[in-house]
Amino acid sequence: MKRFFASDFFYDFVRSPVALVSFLIVLFLILSAVFAGVIAPTNPFDAASLNLMNGFTPPMEPNLFTGDVFWMGTDDQGRDLFSAILYGLRISLFVGAMAVALATVMGVLLGLIAGYMGGWLDNLIMRFADIQMTFPSILIAMLIFGVARGILPPELRDEMAITVLIVSIGLSEWVPFARTVRESTLVEKEKEYIAAARLIGLNRWQIMIRHILPNVLNPVLVIATITLALAIIAEATLSFLGVGAPRTEPSLGTLIRVGQDFLFSGEWWILLFPASTLLALALSVNLFGDWLRDKLNPRLK
Amino acid sequence: MTQPLLEVKNISVEFKTRRGALKAVDDLSIDVQPGEILGLVGESGAGKSMMGAAILGLIDPPGRLSKGEIWFKGQRIDQNPETLRGCEISMIFQDPLVSLNPLKKIGDQLVETILRHKKMSRAQAIDRARKGLIEVGIDPERLNAYPHTFSGGMRQRVVIALALAPEPSLIIADEPTTALDVSVQAQILELLKKLCRGRGTSIILITHDMGVISETADRVGVLYAGRLAEIGSTNQVLRSSKHPYTQGLVASTPKIDTSSFGQSLYQIPGSMPKLDAIPTGCAFHPRCTQGTLKCSQERPPMMNNAAACWLLEETRQGI
Amino acid sequence: MSFITAKNLTRRYDLSDPWIVRQLTFRPKRFLTAVNDVSFSVEKGTTYALVGESGSGKSTIAKMAVGLLAPSAGTITLDNHNLNDRNLSPQSQQSMRRRIQMVFQSPYASLNPRWRVGDILAEPIQSFDLIQGAKNQAKRVDELLEQVGLSPSDAKKYPHEFSGGQRQRISIARALSSQPEVIICDEPTSALDVSVQAQVLNLLKSLQKEFSLTYLFITHDLAVVSSVANRIGVLNKGALVEEASPKELFTNPKQDYTRMLLNAAPKML
Repeated sequence: MKRFFASDFFYDFVRSPVALVSFLIVLFLILSAVFAGVIAPTNPFDAASLNLMNGFTPPMEPNLFTGDVFWMGTDDQGRDLFSAILYGLRISLFVGAMAVALATVMGVLLGLIAGYMGGWLDNLIMRFADIQMTFPSILIAMLIFGVARGILPPELRDEMAITVLIVSIGLSEWVPFARTVRESTLVEKEKEYIAAARLIGLNRWQIMIRHILPNVLNPVLVIATITLALAIIAEATLSFLGVGAPRTEPSLGTLIRVGQDFLFSGEWWILLFPASTLLALALSVNLFGDWLRDKLNPRLK
Repeated sequence: MTQPLLEVKNISVEFKTRRGALKAVDDLSIDVQPGEILGLVGESGAGKSMMGAAILGLIDPPGRLSKGEIWFKGQRIDQNPETLRGCEISMIFQDPLVSLNPLKKIGDQLVETILRHKKMSRAQAIDRARKGLIEVGIDPERLNAYPHTFSGGMRQRVVIALALAPEPSLIIADEPTTALDVSVQAQILELLKKLCRGRGTSIILITHDMGVISETADRVGVLYAGRLAEIGSTNQVLRSSKHPYTQGLVASTPKIDTSSFGQSLYQIPGSMPKLDAIPTGCAFHPRCTQGTLKCSQERPPMMNNAAACWLLEETRQGI
Repeated sequence: MSFITAKNLTRRYDLSDPWIVRQLTFRPKRFLTAVNDVSFSVEKGTTYALVGESGSGKSTIAKMAVGLLAPSAGTITLDNHNLNDRNLSPQSQQSMRRRIQMVFQSPYASLNPRWRVGDILAEPIQSFDLIQGAKNQAKRVDELLEQVGLSPSDAKKYPHEFSGGQRQRISIARALSSQPEVIICDEPTSALDVSVQAQVLNLLKSLQKEFSLTYLFITHDLAVVSSVANRIGVLNKGALVEEASPKELFTNPKQDYTRMLLNAAPKML
C-alpha cells in the first residue's frame, strides 16, 4: 500500500487536474449512492409515503398545497426528485458495475483461452467476437433482454429486470477485453519464463492462470473503466427506451424518460436533474478512464 | 596539427526526474579528426548512445544537453543541429529492421535522401542511388525491392548506402553490427572501413564489443557511467591500458586463446552504478582494486590526455 | 560413458501453402529442415558447446534436448531415457524433467515480472515435490540464492529490481532448484555486458565443479566457448560440420566453414 502512494502513478495522479476532479466526482457520486438511505429525505419507492398533492413542485419552492420544500422538486406522482436520483444512482451504478464485472471475467477468460490454446478454439471464439462486434451493443443488449423477458413468466419480469439488465449489458461488452487479453497472451506465450514453467511440468491451466494472467491484466483496468461508462449509458438508454429498469425501481435512465414527457409542459426539473447527474457520472468515468489509459501506456522503457 | 572535424567540449546530458536530475553524460570532452575512425566503447548504461544522439541533437525530453558546446568544422552546432543532420553528419542505427521504412522501396528511400541534400534532377539522383548500391555490394537492379526482401546484413548495407548518399563528413554508427551474425559483421565492418578511408569520412563507432573496436578503430574512448575513462590509440588502449576499468574490461573479454582454456575469466567485481547512484569522486572507485582515498573524494580529470585516473598523477609526479 | 546422446536428430518445419492453394497452383509441399541428422554425445560432468550462427539450428536442438520440441526424426536421450517419448507416464515424465533444466538467453523475458524472486525459485521445488513445508522451502530458496552469489533478502524482490547479470543468476538458481544433472545453457551470456558475462561464466564453471553438472552450452561466440567447453560442435544450417576439442578446433580447423568462423571472429590485439 505504501508503495502505491510513493509510486510515480500516484504522483502524477495528484498533479493532474483532470484525473483528480473526475475521480473525486465519481467518488462523490458513489458515496451518495451508497449512503442514499441515510442522505435521502424520503423513500421515493414507498408508495404509501407519496402525496399526490406534492406533484409538480418546482425546486426549492414551497408546495402550494402542503408547503413542503423539495431541493430538486417533485415528479408527477409527488416523489422527491433528490431522493429518486440518489436511489436511481444506486441502480445505475450497481447495474453498471455488475455488468462490467461480468464482461471482464468472461472476456478475460475467453481471451486467455483463445490466445494460449490457439487453433480451432481461438478461431471459434474470435469469429464469435467478430460477429458480435458488427452489431451495436445496445441492440445486442435489447436482443438478450427481449429473449429473457419472453422466457420468464410475467410475475418474475419486474423482479428479474435488474438481473436481466446486468446479464444483457455484460454479455454485450466482453469483446474488447477478450481481444486485448488475447493479444497480450500471444506475446507473453512466447517469452522464456513460460517455457521455464513448462519445463517444471505445469499444465496449461496452471500456466494460463498463474503465469500469463497477472501479466495481461494491465490494460484490463483501463478497458473496465471505459466499459463502466459505456455500461452506465447502456443501462440508461435501455431504461429510457422502456426496456430497462421499471418505474418501481427507477434508475437514472427511467427518471429521464419520465422527465422527458413533462419537459414541454414546463416542469423542466424532472428532466434536468437526473440528466445532469447521469452526464456528470458518465463523463467523469470516461475522463478518468482516458487519463488512466494514457498513464498506463507502456511509456516506461 | 589539423583542426579536428568535431570537437565535443564538456557536454552533459541530463534527465529531469522526480528524484532529481540524472546525468547520462557528465562533462565529457572528445575530438574527432578528419578521416579517422573513433571508437566509443562502454557497457550498457555508460552513455555512449547518448553521446551519439547528443551530437545530432536527437535527445528527446525530458533529456537535454544541459552543458557544453559541440563544434563541427570550426562552427558551433549544438544550438541548431538540424541543419547538419543527415547532410554533413549521418547516422547508422543498430537495427536495420527499423531503420528502413518497410513501406517504401529502397530505391525511393535512397533517392529521397539524395534529393533532400543535393540539388540535382531525379534522373541524376537515381543514377547516384545505383552507384551507391554498387559501392555497398548490392545489385543495383534491386532498387525497386522492398526492405523485407533483404537479409539483415544486406539491409545494413542499404542503411550504409543511405548514410553515405549525402556525402557526409562524419558518420555516427551506433552498434551497427550487434544484431548481425559474426560472419556478416566482419563483412560490414570491412565495408565501412573501405568506404570511409576512400572518401576521407570520419566515423564514430559506438559499440560494447572490444573485438570490433580492435579490428576497426584508429582511436578509442572508453566510457564509464557517462564519463570518459580513457582515450588513446587502439593499440595503446587495448594493449597497455592505463585506466583500471579498461584493464579489467580487456582482461575479462574472452579470447580465442587455447592457452587460457579452462581458466576462469578475470572478472571486475560489482556492476556499473545506476544513474541515480553514481559514487562521489571517481565513478569507478568502489570496484577498483587499486584505488586510493583520493579516488573516493575527488573526480579525476583527464590526465596526459590518456586516462581519467588519480593513479596517473602519482606516476607523473614520481618521475 | 555418454550421458547425453543425440542420434540422427532431425527437425523439419512444414511451410507449405494450404491444401487448396497447392491444388490450384500445383506447387509441392515445402519444408524447412532446421536440424538435419545431427549426432553427438556428451560425457557426464563435461561441457559440450554447440556453436553456430543464426539459423544454424542450435536453439532448436536445445529445445529438443529439454523436451519443449519433439524431433521429426532421431532421438536425443539423457542417460538412455528419451524425454520426447510419448508413451511415458506423467510421473516418469516429471522425474525426467527434474533431471534436465535450462537457462535461457534473455534475462528480461526468462523471469515472470509479476512474481517475487522467492516464489519463482520455490515453484520448481513445489512442482517436483522435493521439499515439503513452506519454511523448509524458504530455507532452500535462501540456500540457492547464496549459491549464485545473491543474498536471501533478494527473495522478496521483483525481477525488475535486478540488473541483467543478476537476473541471469536468478535463472541459474531456478535451474539448480530441481537438483538437475544436466543444464542446457541457451546463449546465457549473449545479452550481457562483457564484465558481467565473465562473472556469469565463472559462476557456471564453479557450479559445474560443485554439483558435477553436465552442460550443453549453446552460443554463437567462439571466444566464449574457448573458455568453457571441453568439446565443441560446429553447426551450419542444421548440420554438424565439425566436432573437436577447443585446442584442435582453433589450431587446426578442418572444415572451410569453421575456418571462416574463426577468421570472422573479431580478434583482440
